[in-house]
Amino acid sequence: MKNEFIKNWDTQLKKGLLPFFVLKALEAKECYGYELIQTLKDTFGIDITESTIYPLLVRLMKENLLVHKWVEQTSGIPRKYYFISAEGKANLAEMKQTIEEVIIKIKGQ
Amino acid sequence: MKPIEFKNQASQRVYNDYMNRCKRVIKILSDSDQQECLMEVNSYIYEYVNNHQHEEELTALLNIIERLGAPEVTLKEVVASKKINQAVRTFNLKHLIQALSLNLRNGIAYIILFIMTLTLLCFPVVIIMEILNPVKTGLWVGKGHFVFGQVLPQAGVNEVLGNFFIPVVIVLGILLYLLIIFLLKLVKSKKS
Repeated sequence: MKNEFIKNWDTQLKKGLLPFFVLKALEAKECYGYELIQTLKDTFGIDITESTIYPLLVRLMKENLLVHKWVEQTSGIPRKYYFISAEGKANLAEMKQTIEEVIIKIKGQ
Repeated sequence: MKPIEFKNQASQRVYNDYMNRCKRVIKILSDSDQQECLMEVNSYIYEYVNNHQHEEELTALLNIIERLGAPEVTLKEVVASKKINQAVRTFNLKHLIQALSLNLRNGIAYIILFIMTLTLLCFPVVIIMEILNPVKTGLWVGKGHFVFGQVLPQAGVNEVLGNFFIPVVIVLGILLYLLIIFLLKLVKSKKS
């Protein structure tokens, strides 16, 4: 059973890593918003809401890390698919390296 | 944008109310940006309800609305970001003021740009002052004075622009406006 401090730390850690997880998920496959939330939950065990993912996706788009495309559906409600851009891939590689460095330091202790 | 059609009348009312709240929050955006925002919110609602058909329709709808949060909060960053794009794209002073006021909490650069914009708004006031009271208005220089506007007449302090005051103010205003737009574009690209 995690104590309150660890729970908060865990939440903050996952929050900080969220852009990384989003880019990682989109590197594997383009997704629309709802699908991305499910992917993050299934693949990384991160449970986030639409109120978190939507502004984050806008921020990542603004920083040119993602691109999007609206895809019409038979329902008449189109889906907005997000793709990782070349700049996004380059940033993801740097983020991976930083995380690996941190892990090496932690293991070295 | 195609609105979602619910089987339950209560669900339809809740949905319509939420979408109307979203519309109110984003009404300062351009038509295309408003449409994009609404389509995205609509898509989140539709996909969630469609994937939770084991639940009651109204329950699923209330759950996704809770997950989306208050439009005033969730869409705040989206609106601020899209407004900056609109301001640099259109060169419209109204959009510029709205964009800067929405982004005031996003860094000191936006505060400085907002102050510069407020200064810019003083320029037409100075022109009106010059028209109404040309004797006291101008660029006053001398005796440790350098005043752009109105001063009480003093010995040794002279107005140096004369009839060129209004054209100079107009040119300075245009230059300041272009500088603000340039700096805003710079800040926007630096942030990204």
